Amino acid sequence: MSRLDLPQGTLDLLILKALSLQPMHGWAISERLHQVSRATLQVPQGSLYPALHRLERRGLIRAEWGASDNNRRAKYYQLTRAGQKQLEAEASAWQQLTTAVDLVLKQS
Amino acid sequence: MTPLLNDLRYRLRALFRRDTMDREMDAEFRFHLDKEVEKHVRAGVPPDEARRLARASFGTFEGTRDETRDARGLMWLEQMVHDVRYSLRGLAARPMFTGGVVLTLALGIGANATMFGIMDRMLFRAPPFLRDHGTVHRLYNHYMLNGESRIERNLAFPVYLDFLRTSEATEAVAAFQTRELPVGEGEDTREMSVTVASASYFSLFDARPALGRFFDASDDSVPAGQDVVVLGHGYWQSRFGGRTDVIGQRLRVGRTPATIIGVAPEGFVGLSDQGVPAVYLPITAFAFSMRGPAYPRGYGWSWLELAVRRKPDVSIAALEADLTASYIASFRRAAAIAPNVGTLETVRPRVTVGPVQLARGPQAGRDSRVVTWIAGVAFIVLLIACANVANLQLSRAISRQREVAVRLALGVSRGRLVRQLLTESLCLAILGGTTGLLVARWGSVGLRSFFFNAEESLSVVTDVRTLVFAGVATTLVALLTGLVPALQAGSGDLAAALKSGAREGNYRRSRTRTALLVLQATLSVALLVGAGLFVRSLRNVRDFRMGYDTERLLFATVNFRGVRLSDEEQSGLASRLLSAAREVPGVEKLTLAASVPFWSNEGRGLWVPGVDSVQTRGRFILQAGSTDYFATTGTRILRGRAFGESDPEGGAHVIVVSEGMAQAIWPGEDALGKCVRISEPTAPCATVIGVAEEVRIRLLVDDREHAYYVPAWQLGEPIYPQVLVRISGDRAAVAEALRRRLQRELPGASYATVVPMNSLTDPQQRSWRFGATMFVAFGALALVLAAIGLYSLIAYDVAQRTRELGVRMALGASVPDVMGLVVRGGLRLVTVGLVLGAGLALWGSKWMEDLMFRQSPRDPMVFGMVTILLFAVALIATAGPAYRAARVDPNVALRSD
Repeated sequence: MSRLDLPQGTLDLLILKALSLQPMHGWAISERLHQVSRATLQVPQGSLYPALHRLERRGLIRAEWGASDNNRRAKYYQLTRAGQKQLEAEASAWQQLTTAVDLVLKQS
Repeated sequence: MTPLLNDLRYRLRALFRRDTMDREMDAEFRFHLDKEVEKHVRAGVPPDEARRLARASFGTFEGTRDETRDARGLMWLEQMVHDVRYSLRGLAARPMFTGGVVLTLALGIGANATMFGIMDRMLFRAPPFLRDHGTVHRLYNHYMLNGESRIERNLAFPVYLDFLRTSEATEAVAAFQTRELPVGEGEDTREMSVTVASASYFSLFDARPALGRFFDASDDSVPAGQDVVVLGHGYWQSRFGGRTDVIGQRLRVGRTPATIIGVAPEGFVGLSDQGVPAVYLPITAFAFSMRGPAYPRGYGWSWLELAVRRKPDVSIAALEADLTASYIASFRRAAAIAPNVGTLETVRPRVTVGPVQLARGPQAGRDSRVVTWIAGVAFIVLLIACANVANLQLSRAISRQREVAVRLALGVSRGRLVRQLLTESLCLAILGGTTGLLVARWGSVGLRSFFFNAEESLSVVTDVRTLVFAGVATTLVALLTGLVPALQAGSGDLAAALKSGAREGNYRRSRTRTALLVLQATLSVALLVGAGLFVRSLRNVRDFRMGYDTERLLFATVNFRGVRLSDEEQSGLASRLLSAAREVPGVEKLTLAASVPFWSNEGRGLWVPGVDSVQTRGRFILQAGSTDYFATTGTRILRGRAFGESDPEGGAHVIVVSEGMAQAIWPGEDALGKCVRISEPTAPCATVIGVAEEVRIRLLVDDREHAYYVPAWQLGEPIYPQVLVRISGDRAAVAEALRRRLQRELPGASYATVVPMNSLTDPQQRSWRFGATMFVAFGALALVLAAIGLYSLIAYDVAQRTRELGVRMALGASVPDVMGLVVRGGLRLVTVGLVLGAGLALWGSKWMEDLMFRQSPRDPMVFGMVTILLFAVALIATAGPAYRAARVDPNVALRSD
């Protein structure tokens, strides 16, 4: 199966979704997206961090330094309430969009 | 927390904790990479290969770092710091270019800041401390005299009282006048600027006395008031050293000693437009000392200016209606006391209000208009300077075309490039603006003495408004000089620029540059025409025959300071002064004078048999003099004779009239032998024995103002002791000797003043002198800037066309051919500029007309001189490049790229 590039703007949505389960550090987020999408989605790790910092600036996620599993300090991101709301809004918009695109594609 | 606040907090942290954030970011990245390596190793990849894989999937460390920083929202700031550093490095590497541009902009911005400072002080700024200046108005009274509409701002004290009583639209009415009065005792006595004001005057301001108190209604009570005085801050400092024990001390002001009750705060000048007052006196006390107890009913003594504060809910039109109603009521009262003031129908008194600044009112002088013009000129100079700098930047941009193209090809965005170029312009503009403030500082020291009292502080560098103005001007300059080159660099065909070298014949003269140069030439021509016109006006003013000598005349007068003399005593004193003055070495001739040009003038009713209403035919000024009058002043007798010892006191009365007066009263007839009755219709006939040339007494330009001359001894009333003295030798020395000698004859506290005649006439020429000086200075500056612009454009052309010129020479073009080619290119541009500029000057001439003195604004002579000057300068500017073009070696040129 070939790997897909992410459409513009969906990375933010995926990050928010990943963080809605539990706080995670950057590497864990990239791993999770990779696994959950069954290795379909290629998250460019280089663009993960700018996105994280942008989300932090917008107040949708919050960052804290904490101890990781093997006791190294890592930066953990977690969803804020604004981020939660944003996730819901964007997820439902995405659903509508994909449903609509599906409909159009199936008609012909 | 709102998103906006969060955003701001984040950005601020990013700004001030940049290093910490960078460290955290690096730690975060390292952690990521370590985890990635760990993952691969766990999957069985050798450590080296694992590291490579991790690196590869992360992308470049640097790129990610930049993008992440960008996400912080501060990339622009970091880029700006980088751009500024880059620009400054680039500018420092080319000191000649940088120095030239900074100097050009400094002169342009400095000139504008200077003129702004003067205009601001003259036209825009409200007097310091004035509360809510939009509701404070100066009063102007209008009336008809001999069928002519007059406007003045002089009202009598009882009119002020009438306004106080009857006006309903005003919150406060204040009367004031600033005049020169002797202040101090004995040797310390000086003529100083004194404001005589009602107590309500101070209520217009939010000023607290620096010491003591201002005078109040109880000090300013009708009729006598209290002999109290408030010191101006500057005078307090200079005369009393700022001591606090001055309160209660006595100070003689005018005729009476007064008690010092307070000191005005620093910077307080009241509503005065005549310099900084040394002291403030209550009106009632001053008027009582001058005129005694009758002054509150004296409608004839119009000497006060009025200012009012309008009630907040009253419109200006309603205010004027209200004041006019009061003024008319006041006029009726005046007419009841003295029926000779005329009737309501013929006088038609009314009041209008104007801004507190005199220069913005209906009586604004020529000064403020000239200043406005010069400010416009300064702006044009700035435009020319900007055009020059833009031009220089453009030529750099063109020679950097390939560098720019390479940078664009390497992925620098056009926006980023434009920003970088604009930053460079901004750096230059800020350097220029800062230096410009220094220029303005020197400039305003020189210029303010033209218009304002020297004591007045007018510091450019600490004045917020001037600084704001300079800031705006600097930003404007940065945009003007940076935008065109930046846009030019930001657009254009990349591939073509990359492919082409000089060999490809990429020469084309930039249209923008050509347009800028033509604009410069146009504006310079317009300025030079203006300069020429003002210079000729000034020469006309200087050469203008005033009708008397100004260079060799002194004017001496006496200030009595309350010493009261009977008519006989005054006559006696006058003749004693004359004989005392005659003893002074250097004094050649002298005469009494009832009127003194630009100082004081007398008038009397005139009746001429067979001529109705003489007064409507002109403004006739009475001059009464001694036997040597005409020999002293140098006023020429055109026909008939001057009066002299042959016209005794008891003999037939004689009169000399000016040429214009003769024509006004007896048009087409010979005035000699005609009869004029002076003061009364029944007075004895004074026979016209001579016609004299015109003289200027009240105004420099007034075709209706004429003078007539009678022997002082036939006037039948004593003349105030004013003496005109014709001298030889050193003017200042004779003046001082004369003053000392006259002083010895004077009784009591009275004292003598002696001034050269030209100190009275010179201020009349001020606006032309200022206009000529500034127009010439700015015109020359504009010309130099335009010449530099032309030179750089042509020189650049020649450098670009080296190959083409080489080909031409190889094909047989001679040296003169090549030089002519280059010079013609320059002259063509200049000619276009000349035509446009001359058109602009002609178009503007209708507004210049009344600023000129006996000078047509379309003077072909001026236009001709400007044309010659411009072509001469253009030739000089193109000569260098043309010479270089002629020395092009075809061999070298053809081989070079």
